[in-house]
Amino acid sequence: MSALTGGWRRFLPAPRWALISVPYFWLLLFFLIPFLIALKISFAKAAIAMPPFTDVLYWVDGFPVLKLRGENYLFLLGDSIYLNAYLSSLWIAVVATLLCLAIGYPMAYAISRLPASSRNFALLLVILPSWTSFLIRIYAWIGILKPNGLVNNFLLNLGLIDAPIKMLHTPFAVYIGIVYAYLPFMVLPLYTNLVKHDHRLLEAAADLGAKPWQSFLKVTLPLSKAGIIAGCMLVAIPVVGEFVIPEMLGGPDTLMIGRVLWQEFFNNRDWPVASAVAMAMLAILIVPIVIFHRAQAREMEGKLT
Amino acid sequence: MTSAITSTPLAPVAASADKRIDGYLRIDTVRKEFDGFVAVDDVSIDIRQGEIFALLGASGCGKSTLLRCLAGFEKPTSGRIVLAGQDLTALPPYERPVNMMFQSYALFPHMTVEQNIAFGLKQDRKPKEEIVRRVEEMLALVQMGKYAKRKPHQLSGGQQQRVALARSLAKGPKLLLLDEPMGALDKKLRSQMQLELVSIIEKAGVTCVMVTHDQEEAMTMAGRIAIMESGRIRQIGTPDEIYEQPNSRYTAEFIGSVNLFDGKIDQDEKDFVTIACPALPDPIHVAHGVTGYSGMEVAFALRPEKVQISKQEPAAPHNKAQGVIEDIAYFGSHSVYHIRLARGMKVLCNFVNQQRWASEGFTWNDAVWVSWGDLEGVVLTS
Repeated sequence: MSALTGGWRRFLPAPRWALISVPYFWLLLFFLIPFLIALKISFAKAAIAMPPFTDVLYWVDGFPVLKLRGENYLFLLGDSIYLNAYLSSLWIAVVATLLCLAIGYPMAYAISRLPASSRNFALLLVILPSWTSFLIRIYAWIGILKPNGLVNNFLLNLGLIDAPIKMLHTPFAVYIGIVYAYLPFMVLPLYTNLVKHDHRLLEAAADLGAKPWQSFLKVTLPLSKAGIIAGCMLVAIPVVGEFVIPEMLGGPDTLMIGRVLWQEFFNNRDWPVASAVAMAMLAILIVPIVIFHRAQAREMEGKLT
Repeated sequence: MTSAITSTPLAPVAASADKRIDGYLRIDTVRKEFDGFVAVDDVSIDIRQGEIFALLGASGCGKSTLLRCLAGFEKPTSGRIVLAGQDLTALPPYERPVNMMFQSYALFPHMTVEQNIAFGLKQDRKPKEEIVRRVEEMLALVQMGKYAKRKPHQLSGGQQQRVALARSLAKGPKLLLLDEPMGALDKKLRSQMQLELVSIIEKAGVTCVMVTHDQEEAMTMAGRIAIMESGRIRQIGTPDEIYEQPNSRYTAEFIGSVNLFDGKIDQDEKDFVTIACPALPDPIHVAHGVTGYSGMEVAFALRPEKVQISKQEPAAPHNKAQGVIEDIAYFGSHSVYHIRLARGMKVLCNFVNQQRWASEGFTWNDAVWVSWGDLEGVVLTS
């Protein structure tokens, strides 16, 4: 670059900073600021007002006063329903994630082994359902699982059962819905990982005496670790806060934190407690999110060299 | 595999060369077809114990498919592969006493150098101390002891190759396969690693089949070479046999460069033949008999370094022709002259620059004589 053009350009931000700042600005505007608002509300007290909570920051004789109330968080600890909801959400998320992994890994593996020409079609089939509204797809499961729904009618007609099985509004239905809705989030990162595997590594393992299942355990599985972690996080994190599926397919006893949050917010109109619930959920989720990012960073590190 | 690791000799086998078993590895009319395409066409080769044998050919000649049949990655359509009396044909790769060094090494990226080398030994469920000892032995053999804890991506190409070799030798295989061993190395490292690889393989005393498209590599590393073309073996022999005594136009042209004179046998005597050749004014005189008949179409193959170049007419009565220097390629150690003969054929002549500035004796458009001794060429009947 000549001295003439270089002279004044030096004072402009470099193009890459301009590029990076756009998504950061987006996240700041639509993630960080709402987060701070929710954080603020979690320290307020419910009030019959507009908005329905007390001020956290107000002015007294020209001085700003910050009044943080921890009582919402104490309240969460005091009532066992919240702790149970968190534990039950985590449990459902863990079980659903393992189910997704058990179903998604063989799927992703099989797709990655297809001839290159048919892989994209198979992937399209995985993604295709999400072209329909999430709500409609979950709603459709009601029609399949209800007492006089598709499954029960089919079994009744075959004479395999005498009375309809209760499937809708049970934990079983919740798992079906979650696994169904989140399976693509497991399959896609696993596929992306598995398709990059070098088949010669498996030949090398076979050459050194490993039977096919041993090659899988010692070579394919460890090399797909990053994909497994990514898939599990992509499923587990949103499932913890899932509201629609337990609301539509679960029974009144299906306790999930997303539902509790909804009830606090819309039924009890207690925004401060709802915000505290949300903040606590975030705190719980941060641990797996950090693990996820560290795993991703490690994989990137391995690639660069 | 039941053979104990410790039984693998690390002493040189060359000393016991005369005891080598002929046909240690028998490739018996092996044929491999893919959807009607014949990749390997009824190939039979006997390989001796302890030798380094190269399959040499252009890409697509079937050499890699044959190697993969030996490793067990491909199942021959017909034919048998017998190693040390054991029929391997139907065995899967993981049950064969055969190990392979892959073209791009195929080292396990998630394992250290040590773990890579130990992989095969762990597969055999060897006792832990034995594995540790054997891995150390292998690391010492390829001089990679310092790098035992490194991951493959932290190593240079040459170091990766040593690890790959150590990994394929660790189990003490009866047969070692090398797939384009120098393919992933840059040119300078190649010539160094070629000899090093040979010395390691000879130390380990293992029988070795390698595949390469690089004739220099095959000639440097292998004791014997098989030239493959369209799935068939064209010639098997030591490097010098193949170079000096090619059995067909194909091998003559494939290995090195050659001047080929087409002609017909003119006089067919017991101790000499003459070949009438349209490109030359006088018949070629060959001072030995050939199995042929008068009038038979043959080709006379003459390597460029066997061609003499001179300004004066040589004294010999035959095997000479006049021409003009059309091109000169100067290589420092030698020069290659492209000489256009009076009747139009171009002859290559290698001239060793034995004296400094010797190459200045000839220049473009000089009228020169080319000549050759009457035992220096090969009469090819096919």
